[in-house]
Amino acid sequence: MMKNKINLLRICLILVMGSIALSACKKNLPDERLSIANDSQYTQYLYQPVLGRNTLFTNNFQYGNSSRPLDFKIVNMRTFNGEPAPELTNNYPVTVWKTAYDGTEKSLAEIEAKRTTENHPLFEVRPHSGEFMMWAAANSNMVKAQPDSGYVFDVEMSNSGGRKYYQNFRLRPLRERPYEPSNLDPITGQGTSVSVNPTALFITGERGQLLNTRDDVQVLFKKTGNGNSLTFKFADTLSNPIDPNKFAATDWANLVHGFNMVKDAGKVKYEVAYPIPCSAYPTKYTTLSGDQASVVFRFNRQAFGNIQQKCFLAFNFNIYQKGDWEITFWFKRDKPKFDND
Amino acid sequence: MEQYKLKQNIFPMKYFYTIVILLIFGFQNLAIAQQRIVVTGTVIDGSSKSKETIPGVSVTSGGSSLGITDNNGKFRVTVANNASLTFSYVGYESITVKVNNRTNISVTMGVDNKTLKEVTVTAGYQTKTKTLMTGSAVTISGKDIQGQPASDVMSLLQGKVAGLNIQNNTGAPGFRGSVTIRGISNINVSGSGSSSFLTPTSPLFVIDGVPVDDNTDYSYGFQQAGPGVSPASQIPPEDVEDITVLKDAAATALYGSRGAYGVILITTKRGNSKVPVVRYSGSAFMSTVPQLRSVIGGKGERLLRVDQILRYDTSYNHAIDLINSTPFLSDSLNAYYNNSTDWQSYFYRPTFNQNHNLNISGGDTQFNYKVALGIYDEKGIQQNTGYSRYNLNMNMIYAPSRKFKLEGQLNNSIQNQQTGSGNGLQNAGIAKGGSSSSLLPAPSLYSSVDAVLGALTTDNDNKVLNTTATLNGEYEIVPNLKLGSYLSYTGKSSTKDNFSPAALNANQAEYYTYNDRATTLYNRNQLSYVYSLKEAGEDAHNFSVFAFSELRASFFKSDAILNDRVVNDQLRGPLTNMTDYLTSKGGTIGYTDLRSIAFAGAFSYNYKQKYVIDLNYRVDGLSTNGPNAGYKKNPAIAVKWNFDREEFLSNLKFLDYGDIRLSYGSNITPNGNIYQAYGKYYGGGRYNNSNTVISDLEFLPNLTLEPTKATTYNAGFDLGIFNGKFTLSMDAYYKQTDNIFREKNLSVANSFEKIGSTEISNVNYGWEFQATSRPLNATSPFKLALSANLAINREILAALPDGLREQIYYDTALGQDTYYRLGINSLSNYLYNTKGVYSTNAQVPVDPLTGLPYRVGTNGRLNYFKAGDPIFTDLDGNYVLNEYDRVIAGNSQPQITGGFTSLFQYKNWSLEVNTSFTLKRDILNNSLAAQFARFNSPLGTDKGIGGLVPLSEYSYWAAPGDMAMYGNPLDFVRAKLLDPYRSNQTLFQEDGSYFKLNSVKVYYMFNQKFTQKYGMNRVSVNLTASNLGFITRYSGPNPENVTSLGRDDSGGYPISKQFALGLNIEF
Repeated sequence: MMKNKINLLRICLILVMGSIALSACKKNLPDERLSIANDSQYTQYLYQPVLGRNTLFTNNFQYGNSSRPLDFKIVNMRTFNGEPAPELTNNYPVTVWKTAYDGTEKSLAEIEAKRTTENHPLFEVRPHSGEFMMWAAANSNMVKAQPDSGYVFDVEMSNSGGRKYYQNFRLRPLRERPYEPSNLDPITGQGTSVSVNPTALFITGERGQLLNTRDDVQVLFKKTGNGNSLTFKFADTLSNPIDPNKFAATDWANLVHGFNMVKDAGKVKYEVAYPIPCSAYPTKYTTLSGDQASVVFRFNRQAFGNIQQKCFLAFNFNIYQKGDWEITFWFKRDKPKFDND
Repeated sequence: MEQYKLKQNIFPMKYFYTIVILLIFGFQNLAIAQQRIVVTGTVIDGSSKSKETIPGVSVTSGGSSLGITDNNGKFRVTVANNASLTFSYVGYESITVKVNNRTNISVTMGVDNKTLKEVTVTAGYQTKTKTLMTGSAVTISGKDIQGQPASDVMSLLQGKVAGLNIQNNTGAPGFRGSVTIRGISNINVSGSGSSSFLTPTSPLFVIDGVPVDDNTDYSYGFQQAGPGVSPASQIPPEDVEDITVLKDAAATALYGSRGAYGVILITTKRGNSKVPVVRYSGSAFMSTVPQLRSVIGGKGERLLRVDQILRYDTSYNHAIDLINSTPFLSDSLNAYYNNSTDWQSYFYRPTFNQNHNLNISGGDTQFNYKVALGIYDEKGIQQNTGYSRYNLNMNMIYAPSRKFKLEGQLNNSIQNQQTGSGNGLQNAGIAKGGSSSSLLPAPSLYSSVDAVLGALTTDNDNKVLNTTATLNGEYEIVPNLKLGSYLSYTGKSSTKDNFSPAALNANQAEYYTYNDRATTLYNRNQLSYVYSLKEAGEDAHNFSVFAFSELRASFFKSDAILNDRVVNDQLRGPLTNMTDYLTSKGGTIGYTDLRSIAFAGAFSYNYKQKYVIDLNYRVDGLSTNGPNAGYKKNPAIAVKWNFDREEFLSNLKFLDYGDIRLSYGSNITPNGNIYQAYGKYYGGGRYNNSNTVISDLEFLPNLTLEPTKATTYNAGFDLGIFNGKFTLSMDAYYKQTDNIFREKNLSVANSFEKIGSTEISNVNYGWEFQATSRPLNATSPFKLALSANLAINREILAALPDGLREQIYYDTALGQDTYYRLGINSLSNYLYNTKGVYSTNAQVPVDPLTGLPYRVGTNGRLNYFKAGDPIFTDLDGNYVLNEYDRVIAGNSQPQITGGFTSLFQYKNWSLEVNTSFTLKRDILNNSLAAQFARFNSPLGTDKGIGGLVPLSEYSYWAAPGDMAMYGNPLDFVRAKLLDPYRSNQTLFQEDGSYFKLNSVKVYYMFNQKFTQKYGMNRVSVNLTASNLGFITRYSGPNPENVTSLGRDDSGGYPISKQFALGLNIEF
């Protein structure tokens, strides 16, 4: 009987050996891993973000035949001379969005509740898509801006199939331009003119001519403090204030996404959240694409021949820097004609 | 003295070659003067206390059948006065008695405790007892598949053999589902969308010794040119004696050049009764229409559409304008739009069908015959579809002397098939027509839904004529040395005629006609020799050598012509009125001429049947091999240890048998065609006043084009205990398929476009379990037989062309790409990963840098995700959903298959229940995706206006805060941008596991005393219900009725429930 048991054990042993043999076969099979392909590459090696704004560089990478997900890492961030660049690798407090801004917020506090402060390097790569981003907190006091040669860095792309390095990317930030459209030179940051022009205009001047956007109306940006306000002013040819109420058909409540409007004979002022617009999400305060805030000042008058002339002054703009900003529309060559003919 | 020696030598050989031994007896009988006498007697069941007689026991002598016992267990045979009679019956031990001039012999048969050993298995053109069979093989008796009418015999094997995965994925009559042994052996996908299919790798069918290849020549409906009738469906299930499934390389070794995908042997019935026996078995059966989709009809549909537009259009005024400018919504009083048409009712019908088989057999040792006549007629549940088969199969065996045997066989079948407007497997026309809006008027010539007319008036007639003639001669030159020759010729011709009326084709009727011719000539010459060395008076060392040469020539040519200028709907010919040759669109569309030659040898040795070793070697030459590829050599080696025969286990009385098997071997199957190996030239125009010959630049000749090679390792274990009450068989295998063929595109810098490459490999490994149990006592009036089997298969992709690690097959229609990656299963779905539905806007992720929510495409206001949209994983984290966010998800191939069968008998009644299951399989529910997507176009699309399903059946998002499974289907404006119901997402990938109740059969056998009054020997009736239902979590109608890539399309042919009433009479 004992012998039987031993022989049964022998049978079991053979079975076990058999299964081991089978699992040994399995060992020769290729292991599951992702692949890195030669045709995965960056299509853009020079990045010139404008400081003082959140900048996202998209469509800069072709996945090719590499399998997703991929991991990206900026390595070896250095100045053009090869020295380390701690200003771009250290973490700094930046403002990040937690909830989407959609233009329906009822107060400044509600907007502020949607964003918070986190510590990030000022220049980052999206960990799985290879897109680069520069946070608004970067400024030319700490970051080398053009005309400096800027920075050089490499990117490591990896997945379980291996890794690949892309070398000698150039980061050459441009100086802050706190508002757009801007009269500042992108390289030097110096103003090349004092003002910019409105986007669209349909107003007849006192002298009977239609005003044009290039010469007749100038827009001046001016930061007067570090608050949270935006003021619109209108000035005639002699820089005398024009009463905003003359733009009677303007939808003042929905002009900008601002609160606590104050309107008097000299100006109209809102408390606003910066930047303007807060995000590129299209809202009723922005252009159709959502890229810029859009303000339209309107009035109607009876023109020659008893027709109603729907006059307007439109201006699309961005302001990236928080502050008490003043935008003045200066009717430089002729005053707008508000009266009926 | 010479005689005596021979007798001594030969007698113990009965253990392995019954035929040989009986032939030798015959030899002896010839030598001695003999006198023929009539012997009568009774066969008694030794296991029953009441000494009941056994009817149906076969009585043989010298290897040839003399007849069977009658209902009272009595027999009457005429034999030589010194002959031996062998009595055999399934489940009983065979008994051989010597006549010795007795004229009345009473035989008592005992229950066979070692069933397995006595069962013989034919594999590799040799018949062996199962004890000596080293390969992995499962035999299913023809009795197990009776009583259930089927156009295709393979569908009846579902869930009966471990490792044989059968998915009856179409209900179209005459088509068969996918059949794979031990996992897929090819990873190539062709077609797109729901019509994409996996290159079939059906096993080789060997019907009565003739190999029939099922993977070529338009035998699948998807390849639309031909009729698409499966060659395996030419054998009616009633004419099947048994089916053997050979799984490992040791079993399939000698089928070499086509055996890489496994081999299935089908043996038809033979005559074995001296008294002619006429058996009739027939049935009438009803196919019912499966449950159809519920749809919203008439006013309900209109109101839903109007409400949807009002709620979700960009503005109220725009919505009003849309509705008012869409007549079928606003013009509700117009008779054309004021309907509630039930479209599906126009396509489906229950059908009544019939099936008759007549089998006449008879004869004696020297000459016996069988004639089987069969008619099968099934109308499909879809209008205008159906299948009928008429077959006449005959065989006869003529053995004038003991040394010579001649066997002839002639199988004829005519198969006729109608596929309506579809291709049989799928019917896109019906899918479209059946899902039309209920507001549209019922079908008429003026209806806007052409598909109905297409399905109802298209005339489709496909015929397949099949004739197989085989002649098999055997001669024993000297004792133990046998010479055999096998010659078979198969001719097959198919036609397909498809007429499509003028109303469907811009006022000119269309006529497509196709015909093909396929012939196969097959010859095998074999030589076998057995020899034994004695040890202590018994055969100890047994040798057998078997060698053969095999020749096969097959030819296939198909021609088709499309006449799209038919005069009118009535005059359907002649097919000549064409403006020029090109517009006739005709010509030869397929041509293959294949030759293969093989030499094979098998050597087998066993020591007292305890230790068995088999060595096989086969050399194959194929005309499609590249000139440098040469002959392919396929060795196989197998060992077996029958441990129950060991001395030390002889005192284990409960052990019936037990063995361990190990095998290794390889098989091949041809790849590509001769042009891909040698290149192609064709005659060009004249240049410089001489003829030109131009090289065809489509394929670069691949001089080393190799056949696909499957290498298998198998370890098996068999056990039978407690006098047959319990048997178990286990197999573990590792199958590596190399040189899988794929057309590879060449770089555009080459002059040639493509090359036929064989660089893909995959591996299947797994475990198979097959168990049977007869728990009740043999003497009990109740009999219960249970069997269960389970197969676990894992498949892994091992190599891709050019050393690639991954590759994607792009699906142009639905974006359901197939991802090939080494190290995981070959056919992975590449899908957007859906994680539910955004319940509120706050759940949508926001880009911390830009403050923008997750979106699709550009920065348009409607592109952003919001509450009610599906949550697609953003794999690359760029807050934009794009094609790079897809993930590898799921496996379209089943990984666990199996089934349970139970047979319960009590007196005259018996009940059989067959079930099968498939686990771990992923299905893409394209049908459901399409239903939801139809809500995206409340105004209809250019493809027509689709019907709407009641949304209340689904958990969908309706208001913020809803936790739903499906997103908001009503937001039709944004749906164009977001495509929330895209079919390539994991939301529609569902678990396709199922447990299926295949059939329930109830038999009743009439009392013989009663039936004999009417001249009928045995009469039984049976009631069979098949395809009864599923236990599944799958939300679609039928988890089996999906394509081989696991896609459930509304165009699939539904599988109907069938109820059959059968009658079996034996005269």
